[in-house]
Amino acid sequence: MTPPGEDFYQLSGWTVILLLVLFYGGTLLMSALIGKKKENADGYMTAGNKIGFGVSAASMTATWIWASSMYASATAGYTYGISGPIHYGLWGALMILFIYPFGRRIRKVAPKAHTLAEVMYARHGRSSQLMLAGSNIVGSLISLTSNFIAGGALIALLSPFSFSQGIIVIAAGVLLYTLWSGFRASVLTDFAQVVAMLGAVVVIIPAVFFAAGGPDMFEQGAQNLTPQQSNFFSSDAFLNQGAPYIAAVLAYAIGNQTIAQRLFAVREDLIKRTFVTATVGYGATIIGVGMLGVMALYLGLSPAGGDVNNLIPQMASTYLHPLLIGVFLIMIIGALSSTADSDLAALSSIMMADVYGQNVAGKKKANPKTMLLVGRITMIVATAAALYFASGQMNILDLLVFVGALWGALVFPVIASFYWEKVTNKAFTISVLVALAAFIPVRFEWLPMDGALGIVTDVVAVIGIGVVLGLMCFGFFGLKAAKIIGAVGALAAAPFAIGFLHDYAVLSGSLVAYAVSTLVCYFMCFRSGTSFDFDLIKQRIGDFDQRPETEAAEAATVQAGK
Amino acid sequence: MATFFLTLYVLIWPLIVAATLFAICKGFFKDWREARQEGRTLI
Repeated sequence: MTPPGEDFYQLSGWTVILLLVLFYGGTLLMSALIGKKKENADGYMTAGNKIGFGVSAASMTATWIWASSMYASATAGYTYGISGPIHYGLWGALMILFIYPFGRRIRKVAPKAHTLAEVMYARHGRSSQLMLAGSNIVGSLISLTSNFIAGGALIALLSPFSFSQGIIVIAAGVLLYTLWSGFRASVLTDFAQVVAMLGAVVVIIPAVFFAAGGPDMFEQGAQNLTPQQSNFFSSDAFLNQGAPYIAAVLAYAIGNQTIAQRLFAVREDLIKRTFVTATVGYGATIIGVGMLGVMALYLGLSPAGGDVNNLIPQMASTYLHPLLIGVFLIMIIGALSSTADSDLAALSSIMMADVYGQNVAGKKKANPKTMLLVGRITMIVATAAALYFASGQMNILDLLVFVGALWGALVFPVIASFYWEKVTNKAFTISVLVALAAFIPVRFEWLPMDGALGIVTDVVAVIGIGVVLGLMCFGFFGLKAAKIIGAVGALAAAPFAIGFLHDYAVLSGSLVAYAVSTLVCYFMCFRSGTSFDFDLIKQRIGDFDQRPETEAAEAATVQAGK
Repeated sequence: MATFFLTLYVLIWPLIVAATLFAICKGFFKDWREARQEGRTLI
């Protein structure tokens, strides 16, 4: 799988050591600057719910960008041509924008929450909480493993060090600076990482462009593209890349604890600015990196070893000055570290608040010191587990399909739970499980789809299109507009989609999950006499750590800026 | 003309990234300054 190292320019061992020491040493120093001898358990999970714009925007941007998204955008550019990076990066970016109205509502209903699962516990009960918590534990572990693999593979490609040495250094570096202060360290170091990543993108894209021949490459390499790849409005790119991704990232944005955690941490009046800035930052960065794939296509470059994940390192290695290859290495290390530390912080918060705080000790009996211990042990265990999966090259990434499906099935019930007083725990749980059961045979093409079943699947998927459009619209314009847009969107798509949509199993499976969970949840609730009082959530969720602020202040060993 | 637009298409993203980075850095240092003035930690 890994191409021979001779194909790539290799940085010297000492150069790589110096870069890694500078990067991880710098982040460790930053985290030490805000470290407290006695950390506050709530601060460890949400940093006190009052982070300013600069830190929160940097953190949201850094967390949303991970190494895999850079590789995937370049792959989209190489596979689908000039529109490929747009169909990866733009939709991913817009999803950050689309969820911010929901974020504001969630903060209004549960201003002191630590995890979304905790809010579901307060709203419904244990089963809905455990669905969100469980899916996030698996999801974050997968993400952690994936980031370690990306880091190890890059170090093996661009330096004399091995894959195993690479993953150990990355894991140790991330764990060291995140362990003591948790989420507080994660968000602060995200600033340095975002500067490294975005700064590198500003330099590297133009540098590769001009080193690879500049505008001339578009004239000389035009014959390397198929008509679909040359077309900015390629239907191939939309149906295979864009549309499945729209459905997937909406689920990811709603279900993922790393995003929810930042939502609970930012000052409430800054949610909109933060999300808008992260939308632009993520979109431009990921689409920009995707241009490396487009350039590779025009240049007629074949990915080393046939692995498209090698495209970005290959372009950097071929066209960049050794100094910029070092900058490139830091860009990728920054991307994967910022996401890995967010995953550690998310995992620790779930174990602290949802497992220990709500289910083991109980809200009133939870000991903040034990919570912190649980959080730190979780980080160590998660890092060890991810290292084990990464070192064994275990195909844990396949599980992401199920996590994505579960999040897709959760989108409507979760959103409805914040607005509609009739949603019950029973409807929530059953709708998610039924949607998951409907998703699996469609996604894995277990059943013959060439007859009536294919048509039925398409009809349900078309309803899913309406649900996705309606949900996107609902946050901004309300229920009436959402119903109109959803209905018009589904009706407009029906003539084109029914009869062939089932051929696109990834897209079809996701849409079916959205549609089934929505229909089941709606029909189980609309005649219900239940009327939930949303003010109860505020009463049920609060700080775990009641130690007075002065104690925390006295315990501060070093304060930033003093 | 196509070459011009393709060049613009490739090079516009680093410019947008630079503008975003500027906004984030400006916000970060504003947060830092305010935290110093109020005698509290940044996070």
